[in-house]
Amino acid sequence: MKKEKDFHLSDPTWCRGCGLFGIFAALKKAAVTLALDPEELVVVTGIGCHGRLNNHFEAYGFHALHGRNLPVASGVKLSNPALSVVGISGDGDAYSIGLGHFIHALRRNINITYLVVDNRLYALTQGQTSPTSPMGYVSVSAPYGTKEFPLDGARLALASGGTFIARGFSGNPKQLASIIEKGMTHKGFSFIEVLSPCVTHNKVITTQWFRENIVPVDEDPRYDPKNRTEAWKKLSSEGKIPVGLIYIEDKPSYEDLVLPDKEHPVVFNDLHLDIEKIEKIMEKFQ
Amino acid sequence: MIAGKAGDGVLFTGNVLAKILKRQGWWVSTYRDFPSNIRGEPTNYSIRASLEKVYGRADDVDVFMAFDCGAVIEHADKMAKEGILLCDGIGIAHMAPSRIDSRTYNIFPLRKLARENFKSEIYKNMIALGALSHILHLNFRVIEGIISEVFLERKGKKIVEENIRALRLGCQKSKEMVGTEDLHPLMERKDKDRLLLSGDEAIAMGALAAGCRYFAAYPICPATEIWQWLAVHFPNFNGLVVQTEDELAALNMALGASYAGARAMTSTSGPGGSLMMEAFSLAGMAEIPVVIAHIQRVGPSTGMPTKTEQSDLDQWIYGAHGEFPRIVLSPGTIEECFDFTIKAFNLAEVYQCPVVLLTEQDYGQNLRTVRKFDMTKVKIDRGKMISQEQLEGIRDYKRYRFTPDGVSSRALPGMKNGLHMVESNEHDEYGYRDEDSGNRIRMMQKRMKKLESAGKDLVLPKVWGDKESRIGIIGFGSTFGPIQEAVLQLKEKGIRAKYMQMKTIWPFPRKKVGEFLGSCEEVFIVENNFSGQLSRLIRSQVQVPFRIKNILNYSSQAFRPQEISAQIQKAVQ
Repeated sequence: MKKEKDFHLSDPTWCRGCGLFGIFAALKKAAVTLALDPEELVVVTGIGCHGRLNNHFEAYGFHALHGRNLPVASGVKLSNPALSVVGISGDGDAYSIGLGHFIHALRRNINITYLVVDNRLYALTQGQTSPTSPMGYVSVSAPYGTKEFPLDGARLALASGGTFIARGFSGNPKQLASIIEKGMTHKGFSFIEVLSPCVTHNKVITTQWFRENIVPVDEDPRYDPKNRTEAWKKLSSEGKIPVGLIYIEDKPSYEDLVLPDKEHPVVFNDLHLDIEKIEKIMEKFQ
Repeated sequence: MIAGKAGDGVLFTGNVLAKILKRQGWWVSTYRDFPSNIRGEPTNYSIRASLEKVYGRADDVDVFMAFDCGAVIEHADKMAKEGILLCDGIGIAHMAPSRIDSRTYNIFPLRKLARENFKSEIYKNMIALGALSHILHLNFRVIEGIISEVFLERKGKKIVEENIRALRLGCQKSKEMVGTEDLHPLMERKDKDRLLLSGDEAIAMGALAAGCRYFAAYPICPATEIWQWLAVHFPNFNGLVVQTEDELAALNMALGASYAGARAMTSTSGPGGSLMMEAFSLAGMAEIPVVIAHIQRVGPSTGMPTKTEQSDLDQWIYGAHGEFPRIVLSPGTIEECFDFTIKAFNLAEVYQCPVVLLTEQDYGQNLRTVRKFDMTKVKIDRGKMISQEQLEGIRDYKRYRFTPDGVSSRALPGMKNGLHMVESNEHDEYGYRDEDSGNRIRMMQKRMKKLESAGKDLVLPKVWGDKESRIGIIGFGSTFGPIQEAVLQLKEKGIRAKYMQMKTIWPFPRKKVGEFLGSCEEVFIVENNFSGQLSRLIRSQVQVPFRIKNILNYSSQAFRPQEISAQIQKAVQ
């Protein structure tokens, strides 16, 4: 059985107080709880501060192009479903440049866990406005305040056919780890938005701001995450941001539907030709 | 030639006729000129049948079946002497029935016959085929066999019988109308071990034979036929075809699958290639093998999606950000579409880089007869793929270890003792991000070294024609057939010429091209584009002691042999 230190390659170098430390800790904890080996875990990251996680996390890592996290993660998972695949993106990676892939990954329901680290700006490139920055947010790219309304990833996920929609907070790694565990055991695509402050660039939406503005969904004992209408209401209500498991649905995963031989992943095929079989196919052209 | 409007069944009629001719033992080469439109716009389909193998379109038309007068107006000038036209339209009444300038023109009321005898115009195609079967002296048994194959399973026995009745009616009417002097009988020969298929189908079959088991793509003309074929057959070989949301996803997904250990591929054309440039660069940086089949269509922009061109060569040689090793192969025949696809998968894995299989709509979508592919010759080489046992013997595994040939051993995720990082950033030998300039220099040299190492495995250009001649022609891809025929036409005019067919375009075969140029006094480069992309590439790679002349065609149509031979003749005489 592996311990957290087995997934700890080196100490990360994010800014002191960065929400990514909480995510790093939660991911290690989840991997241990699920009794994974670093060798059977593939962590795909995108471009942004979160993308540095691979440098410090012991597992097979793939630091993809900006926004292209999910196509890579999907290719890995579909060709070898025996691997556990976790994708991590920032709000820019997932909701801006990679938005098309996000929607289609949700609707395909491939068995991947996808964490979207939402700090509401572009941190690595020095604090520009992102699709989740609030209306009027002043940044280096919008010195007079942004004039665009923010995008809501969770509602978009629900509308796109997501089967596991959750939200966590980097300031509560324990709860986040339990959400990640649930996500990784969910059959299908698990989307987890992680509220995570950027301590260097975001002076408005801070750790404190998040603490004051989130509310766990399970505070309401009657809340049923299997009810889509309730989930939509919860996500659309004014006031505090709901965190926890917001929606879960039992639907066949894409692999269940498309893989010809579930016992034998595509990567383990014997590539040598069955000549008789292919000769028979050739006959159709005669 | 069969011509009409989109929706008339020109493609169906042409495909059936091509198959009949192929079964009768003739070498067949088809050419479809279709709009990117489902109904209403002019289309035509030419079929060339010959005893010697031919590869391109003919200079003119011997037998012309027109579904309307518009088609006659558009193509009558292409009719050969002794040619015959059958047209369904009284608009040509001023010239039919008659024999003008040794060409014969007839009104042939296809739709009227169909309505009167079958109460449905749809039978006009079979009536047309019946008439053609008379003119070309086709074997009825062969035709009936093919009609059964086409209709029996899908539509039932009654429909087969009706179609055969229509066929006989067409044949009968043609007998009443067409004189023996206008017949073009094709003697039946033995149908040897041959196939009739498109380049897209040959590429798809090559991919299957090469062990490709993961295919991700976005629909686009004229490349989708590769996917459609694989989608039918992959499930029986434990392979997976995924339709992605766009071409960005298609190539990235193929890279994900290849990284995990599958032989992966994508196919595209025109604008799809532009979208793939980003991930093309990633494949180069991360050293992930992948095969991209790019079937060129007319550009720029949306261009003309169903027409042929060779204007994306620059894109794949120079495209994408940064510098990285890439291999670009250009099949000159349908056999090479199959062979080079297998080659592409091996090169991609042996040199751990993206390989582009670059062909054209003319090859992608048109049917041609080829000799049956020899599956026993298929060899799979996975390069420095490392096994679990080998990996366990390594103390300090480095995915991007510096090696003399630039290629490092490749472990797959899931393997014990193989942990590594795949970085889109510059990285060290373990794959971890590294911005040290000394490491950067070594990594660049390591990756680029692979191109040099690949040199020994690449298919070199081939020289055809009169090797002693001082007149040289150079071309790539689907200009193969027209250039070969142009060389023959020039020979008849007393002009001796030789032709160098480029097969690997990148890395550029400097030595061979240099030698060829050195043996010529005059060189013509034949390309289906406006600016002479191959010509420019050649001039940038080798010293040319004289002016190269470009023969260019950017009309959206493939070359006819005469276009080439006439220009060369004019230039050298």
